[in-house]
Amino acid sequence: MLGRISWISIGIALAIAVLFPPLSGMSFHVLNVAIIMLIFILFSSAWNFLAYSGQASLGHAAFFGIGGYISTILARSAGYASFATILVGGCVAAFVGFLLGLTCVRLKEWFLAMVTFGFAVILQVVVATTLSETTGGWDGMISPRLIPISVDNYLVIEYYVILAATIVSIVAIYLIIRSRAGLAFAAIRENEVEAQAAGINPVSWKLIAFTISSFLAGISGALMVHHIGFISPEVFSAENSFWPVIYSIFGGLGTISGPIIGTTILTIVWDGLKELGLTYERFIIIGLLLIIVVIFLPRGLVSLPEKIRERRAQRKKE
Amino acid sequence: MALDVGVLLQVLFWGLYAGCIYILLATGLTLIFGVMKIVNFAHGELLMLGAYITATVFALTGINPYSIILLTMLILGVIGIAIERSSFRPILGTGKLNEIFISLGLIYVIQNAAALIWGDERQVLTSPYQTITIPLGPIQMPVDYLIIIMVTGLILVGLTLLLKKTSLGKAIRATSQNRKGAQIVGIDVERMDMITFGIGAGIAGAAGTLWVVSGQVFSPYIGSIPAIKAFAIIILGGLGSIPGAIIGGLIYGIAENGAAYFLGGAWKDAISFLILIVVLIFRPTGLFGESGE
Repeated sequence: MLGRISWISIGIALAIAVLFPPLSGMSFHVLNVAIIMLIFILFSSAWNFLAYSGQASLGHAAFFGIGGYISTILARSAGYASFATILVGGCVAAFVGFLLGLTCVRLKEWFLAMVTFGFAVILQVVVATTLSETTGGWDGMISPRLIPISVDNYLVIEYYVILAATIVSIVAIYLIIRSRAGLAFAAIRENEVEAQAAGINPVSWKLIAFTISSFLAGISGALMVHHIGFISPEVFSAENSFWPVIYSIFGGLGTISGPIIGTTILTIVWDGLKELGLTYERFIIIGLLLIIVVIFLPRGLVSLPEKIRERRAQRKKE
Repeated sequence: MALDVGVLLQVLFWGLYAGCIYILLATGLTLIFGVMKIVNFAHGELLMLGAYITATVFALTGINPYSIILLTMLILGVIGIAIERSSFRPILGTGKLNEIFISLGLIYVIQNAAALIWGDERQVLTSPYQTITIPLGPIQMPVDYLIIIMVTGLILVGLTLLLKKTSLGKAIRATSQNRKGAQIVGIDVERMDMITFGIGAGIAGAAGTLWVVSGQVFSPYIGSIPAIKAFAIIILGGLGSIPGAIIGGLIYGIAENGAAYFLGGAWKDAISFLILIVVLIFRPTGLFGESGE
C-alpha cells in the first residue's frame, strides 16, 4: 500500500501541520492564511475525489456555498456555530448534490462542466434575490465564528479544529479510494463501457461519488464562512469553483496528495507574489503555470520526481 | 402589468440585438469544434480583446468605430492562431478535461493581461449614431441596433460563402466531417486547425467591436459569461452545426431579455443555464446532438 518514503513524508507533513502555530510565531496573518489553506485543501480534495470517478465539475462553489449558508442560518438561530450546524450544512449540500447528480451522471465532460457551472450561477441568483429574506440578499450576513473571538487564542484553536476536520476527511477519502468502491470509480473513469461489462453500474457509482464530494465541499464551505465570520452570494462565484480545479491539477489530478501539495505550494506562491506587490500579474502567473502543467506535466507536481527519473534513465541510455 | 405590443417589440429587438453577439461567438466556437473537436471556454476573452482593440484604435484615430471591425478581426485572427499553436495543439487528443483546464488558464492570463494594459475600470464608448433612431411601429429603434444586426448578417453570409464556395472552405468542411479521410486526400489538417481557430477568433473579435460600438459597458471581465452561454447555445443547437448556433443564439437573446424584463435583471444569466439544464435533463446529448461527440 504505502511505501516507507510515503510514510516518512506523511509524518513530516503532519508534524509541520501540528507544530505550525508555535513555529509561525502565532502571527495573526500567517495563521489566517494557513487556516484558509487547510479549508481549500479539504475543498480541493472533495473536487478531486469527484474527478477520480471521471467527473469534472466547474461549479463546486454551489455546494461550498450551500454548506456555508445552511450552517450559518442554523448557527444564527442557535446563537453559535457547532459541529451539528456544519454537519447539517454538509448533509444538505450532499442532498442537493445528489439531486443535481441525477442529471449530471449521464452527461459527458463538457456538458457536465456546463451544467455544474450554470447551477452555481442560478443558485447565486436564487439566494441573492428569491431567498433574500432569509439570506440577506446581495449584502450577505454575519456568520457566527467557529470559535468566539472572546476565547483566548481562538485562532489557534480554530486552526487545530479545521486541521482535524481536514485530516479526517482526507483519511476517509483515502479509505474509500482503497476500497472496492475506489476500484469501481477508477474503472468507470478509465472506460465506462468496459466497467459496465464487468458488472459495475456507472450511474449509481458516479452518483455516490457526486454525493460524497458535495458533502465534503459543503463541510469546507461551512468551515470557511464560520472562519471568516461572514457570508454573501459571492461565495458562489466562479473563482470559488475554479480554485479547487487549479489546485488539484497543479498538484496531481486523481491523487490523494495532489490537492494537498497543489494547494500548499500555490498558496505560498500566491501570498509571496502578493508580498511583492503584484496584483494582475499574480493571476497571469497562475494561469501560465496551469497551462504549462497541463501541457508538460499532465499528472501534476506529484509526478515530477518520476518524470525526472525517467529523463535521467533516458539520458543514460543515450 | 398590461402587456402591450410596444413592450413586446422592444424586448424582441433587444433580444435580436443581444442574440447577434451570441450568434457570432457561438458560430466561431462551433466552427472550431467541428474541425478540432475541442471547446475553447476562453473564447469570450477574444471578444473582450476585440472590444479593447476597437476602443484603443478609436481613441487614437477617432475614425468611425464601425470601420475598425476589419482591423480588429485581423488582429484577433492572428492572436487566435497564436493561442491554437501554443496552447491547444500540444493537448489535442489527450483527453477532454485538458482543454477545459487549458481554457481556464487562458481566461486568467488574458483577462489579467488586459487589466494590466488597459486597467480594469468599466468603460463606455459613444457611437456616432447614438442619437439617431428609426420609428418602428410604437417603438423607437436605435439605428446602431440595425447596423449590428446587418453586420452580423453580413459576417454570416461571408462565412457561408467562404465555407461553401472556396477550396479552403471545402478543405475545412472535409476536415470537420472526417479528419482521417481529409488527411488521406492530402489536406494539411493541422493547417486547417490553425486557420479555423483564426477565423473563429476573428469573428469573436468582430463581436467585440459590435459590443463597444453599441455603447455597452466593457471591462476585462465581460467575456466569460457570454462565451459560456455561447457554448450552451451550441450544445442546444448541435455541436458543429452553424445553423443550430444561429437559431440557438436568437432564442437565447430573446429568452434572456424576456426574463430580465419579466423576472428582474438578476435572472438574465440564470435563465440561460436554466434552459440548458432543463434541456439536458430530457436530452443528455443536446437538442440536435446524436452521439454527444
